[in-house]
Amino acid sequence: MMISCDGLYHSYTHNEKYAVRNVSFQIEKGEVFGFLGPSGAGKSTTQGVMTGLLQLQKGDVTVAGENVRKASRALFNKIGVSFEQSNVYGKLTALENLAFYRRLFDVPTREPAELLELVGLDHVAKQRASEFSKGMKHRLTFARSMLNNPEMWFLDEPTTGLDPAIASVIKDIVKAEKEKGTTVFLTTHNMFVADELCDRVAFITDGELKLVDSPRNLKLQHGERMVEVEYRDNGDLRKETFSFVDEADRRQINQIVNSGKVEMMHTKEATLEQIFIKVTGRGLE
Amino acid sequence: MKLLYSFLKDMRLATRGFYFYLELGFALIFVAVLIFVVPENFESSVPVYAHLDLEGPYLAAAQDSLAREAYDVTLLDSRQEVEAGLADNRSSVGLVISLEGGRVVYDYILQGYENEKFRNIIKTTIEAGFARNVPGYSEAATVTTLDADAEVLSDRLNILPVFLGLNAAFMGLFIIASYIFLDKDEGTIRAFAVTPATVWQYLLSKMGVMLVAGLMSGLVATVLVAGTAANYLHLILLLIACNAFGSALGLLIASFFDTMVKAMGWLYLSVIVLAFASVSYYMPAFSPLAIRILPSYPMLFAFRETLYQASDLAYIYYNVLGFSAAAVVLFLLANWRFKKTLTV
Repeated sequence: MMISCDGLYHSYTHNEKYAVRNVSFQIEKGEVFGFLGPSGAGKSTTQGVMTGLLQLQKGDVTVAGENVRKASRALFNKIGVSFEQSNVYGKLTALENLAFYRRLFDVPTREPAELLELVGLDHVAKQRASEFSKGMKHRLTFARSMLNNPEMWFLDEPTTGLDPAIASVIKDIVKAEKEKGTTVFLTTHNMFVADELCDRVAFITDGELKLVDSPRNLKLQHGERMVEVEYRDNGDLRKETFSFVDEADRRQINQIVNSGKVEMMHTKEATLEQIFIKVTGRGLE
Repeated sequence: MKLLYSFLKDMRLATRGFYFYLELGFALIFVAVLIFVVPENFESSVPVYAHLDLEGPYLAAAQDSLAREAYDVTLLDSRQEVEAGLADNRSSVGLVISLEGGRVVYDYILQGYENEKFRNIIKTTIEAGFARNVPGYSEAATVTTLDADAEVLSDRLNILPVFLGLNAAFMGLFIIASYIFLDKDEGTIRAFAVTPATVWQYLLSKMGVMLVAGLMSGLVATVLVAGTAANYLHLILLLIACNAFGSALGLLIASFFDTMVKAMGWLYLSVIVLAFASVSYYMPAFSPLAIRILPSYPMLFAFRETLYQASDLAYIYYNVLGFSAAAVVLFLLANWRFKKTLTV
């Protein structure tokens, strides 16, 4: 078990007004766990407690085998955190930023130049971060979180604000790290990213955890099990939706497929966003 | 090593920023003012425009008296000329001495802005000057000096301890808070907090930067103003202790706030209160308990001791130890506070 969170409560005002309430979940080693919810749902608060940035007030939280209530500083050799808001030293160059942080770890670290190349910042390595665009700062923050080869990697909105090409690079890096056995706690409100990367997802709204399951199971449970088919019928292009459950529809699909006139066919499983809305009654934005 | 790397990073950030040069800039401005504007010793003589409407022995006695007392006196031919002279030189005073019915009459002409104390001083000084010429006059007052060998600093050097106290020691109070809040704004504190480095390393590296700036500004000012007339070993020790005290106090105050704007009032108030000690420094007769208990009070006198040829070493070391101990206590408190509040 890489993370165990049991009955977590947190109040910024130190009273009964909780930002997160009775949140419980476990994350296995090597798993990519998505934490989905709209802004203000309690995602960052939960991550803040797990990374030690917020004090654990109530509940039990264990990260990489250490109870965060009495965790040693050595725990931070095992974890990496990429923040939603970029937080790099503007007066230092990209290379200087990474070179400084790597010296704070007691474990073997990755070469800053290699990481900058990985996230596509090698051409601006000697440029001050204050001159960077928002997306470039975000990538530098992301690269910094990988310095210590973290066993437990916290990613807060890793692709937000990035153009699709760069976002794709970031997702590929996450997939590659997962292959190496890194456990990932991915906080996002982007259901496409979660769907693509996560083994399991948790839905959180108003500080309460509503559901934890794999995207596949959720789609099977909440999807419509329909297929949309575009085919030629006497030269005309037709588009119809058929049910996998209804016997007559299944026969008709077979007939169209056997005729060889199918041009496009899509299964109509529900998206994570649709499931989220169905389960929580709230949107993700 | 983490502390060293953190300090080197902070030095790099500081030298690429504004605040570091602010302290050094103040030091250079202070030195320039002290060397080019402030005289070695303040002269308190007031130019006097005088008209002597006297004759015979009275005229000779008055002229002799004025010459011997080395007043900055300009003798004029009429009262109107005296008044015109006063109008031209607003810092001057006028005097018309005449003989009326066998009595010497002194007629003082002042600008109008002088207070009662000044008027009495002028009156007494001038009258005493003339009184010495009266046959049979003798000095009734005697002056006894307890320490005949007591060193007296020049007026220019006497200003230096106030600068060392306020700029080299207490400027850090403001600036270290600015550095902390700058890191909070940039969010870099949160990034630091998720590394194995500790809060005390973070805080101590900031104090290190303040120490470098404080030592540089303090030593630059002392070298340029005092030259070799300072005990540099003791000055450096005192600067380190006092700077650490100021920085630790700034850290502790900053730990209670989450923005510079909220902290500003308390930081400003602290510096103002500490600066009150300079009043008693310049006017030793006014040193109420409320001022004597301020840490800046012994600090100013300790800095002054380092400028004497025969320094009171016990007093200097008492201050070095006292401010070092206070700095440690304040730092521990700030560290305890920041562990809870640094990333919130």
